[in-house]
Amino acid sequence: MSNGGGKTGRQLEQPGTWRRRKVGGGDDFARAIAKIAVAQVCESEGFQAFQQSALDALSDVVVRYILNVGKSAHCHANLSGRTESNAFDVIQGLEDMGSVQGFAGASEVDHCLESSGVIREIFHFVNEGEPVVFAHPIPRFPVVKERVLNPSFLQKGEEPPGDHIPAWLPAFPDPQNSSQSPVVNGRGTEPRAVKFEQERENGKGEWPVLNLKQQMVSNLFEKSALVDVADTKAKRVAAEGNPFLAAPLKIEDKEIASVPPPAKFFNDVVLDNPVVENFVQSEPISALETFAPAIEAMKNTCCDSKEDQTKKFVNEKPTVRFKIGIKNKLLGRSIGFIPQTEEHNKTLPWFAMEDEKDDMKRRAEKILRESLENPDQLVQL
Amino acid sequence: MNQNPQSSEGRGDDDAALSDFLASLMDYTPTIPDELVEHYLAKSGFQCPDVRLTRLVAVATQKFVAEVAGDALQHCKARQATIPKDKRDKQQKDKRLVLTMEDLSKALREYGVNLRHQEYFADSPSTGMDPATREE
Repeated sequence: MSNGGGKTGRQLEQPGTWRRRKVGGGDDFARAIAKIAVAQVCESEGFQAFQQSALDALSDVVVRYILNVGKSAHCHANLSGRTESNAFDVIQGLEDMGSVQGFAGASEVDHCLESSGVIREIFHFVNEGEPVVFAHPIPRFPVVKERVLNPSFLQKGEEPPGDHIPAWLPAFPDPQNSSQSPVVNGRGTEPRAVKFEQERENGKGEWPVLNLKQQMVSNLFEKSALVDVADTKAKRVAAEGNPFLAAPLKIEDKEIASVPPPAKFFNDVVLDNPVVENFVQSEPISALETFAPAIEAMKNTCCDSKEDQTKKFVNEKPTVRFKIGIKNKLLGRSIGFIPQTEEHNKTLPWFAMEDEKDDMKRRAEKILRESLENPDQLVQL
Repeated sequence: MNQNPQSSEGRGDDDAALSDFLASLMDYTPTIPDELVEHYLAKSGFQCPDVRLTRLVAVATQKFVAEVAGDALQHCKARQATIPKDKRDKQQKDKRLVLTMEDLSKALREYGVNLRHQEYFADSPSTGMDPATREE
């Protein structure tokens, strides 16, 4: 008796307890919705609280009820030689489900389905009860994702490397960035950075930059799409005190601020990736151009001791990150630290060696890369 | 469909009543969301593009839930009423109507669902104790 409402509230606060129940195997979303709906109906009946187990059981029974009605209606449609069910199949199915209870006119063998007792009961139910609208707007589910396939040899206009490979097969990835699998995202930063440096030595640095821009675009876009769904879901604020009616947590609630995808980075990739069309702006500025001032500043820099300077740049990773992506270019110079360092660097006399400059430039680009690869960290900043 | 012993007039009336009722379902928003019902109907093999039938199933499901919940509520109230007077004062503070497994299984038994509390399932350390002795 006493362990009703408090229990459900505590359950909601621990996401781990939800995860341990894998009933339907990927059906958690529908079951959660069923639970909310059942809870709402019970609340309108006069209940004030639940045992979590009772709610689970009842929603499970309800799901089975729907499944059984559907199965029965489908079966009756098949019996009469149809694949699509009609109203009479559904009524027959409902009669089947109601035969345990009994309904008016059930005893007559050849009663008309149109005037079935089940339908009359439902009719009364509809007329009597006040409709309670479901607490949240729900998107259509299950979501079927459109798969984006790699272009085939035909689409790319390339010749397959061997006669045994038909042209309709997907083309091989570029040998340069084939080792950069998009699956390893944001984790394998270090090896890739090393690789990038090697490629810079060979003068082929442009490829991975473009590639990581694509990755970033897809990352950010996935994120923003998720946020959109969550927004629509959370639009209704629910009655207080009932954890089942509380609006679902938005993704951005966990984070300090949502970062709008910087439109200027995306121009190069727009052609390949139709989904980012919304973000297109007129003048294209590549990421490297964006950071040109920073790199220039470093070029002009010099220092008394090499080690000091390198150390400094290593330590300043997060700051440079700001300079790169968000603060300096898009949101204005809201942090005084960045111009300060730039000025500081500029006022220093010029002593630097050639290779040292190169080294710093490379380092700056490496930092840039890392920050582009880890948009999550940017968001946290 | 079945043979109807009634006259064709009566059948026409029923026909009109049924289609009226189905049409009226379009204005009625059941608590069970259409998407949920559609999802599970599709899972069971049911195919029909008609939204009214989905609504019909949704309303029927809602009626089922409401009936079960109503029965459980009656059980709950009856159980609370049988508590002796002297103990009821103590319970007054948490005299909330809580849907419990006990009432639910009693209510569902009438609908052909045999539901038992899990044997060693414990919501809390006090679960499984006699409700009357739980206060101590």
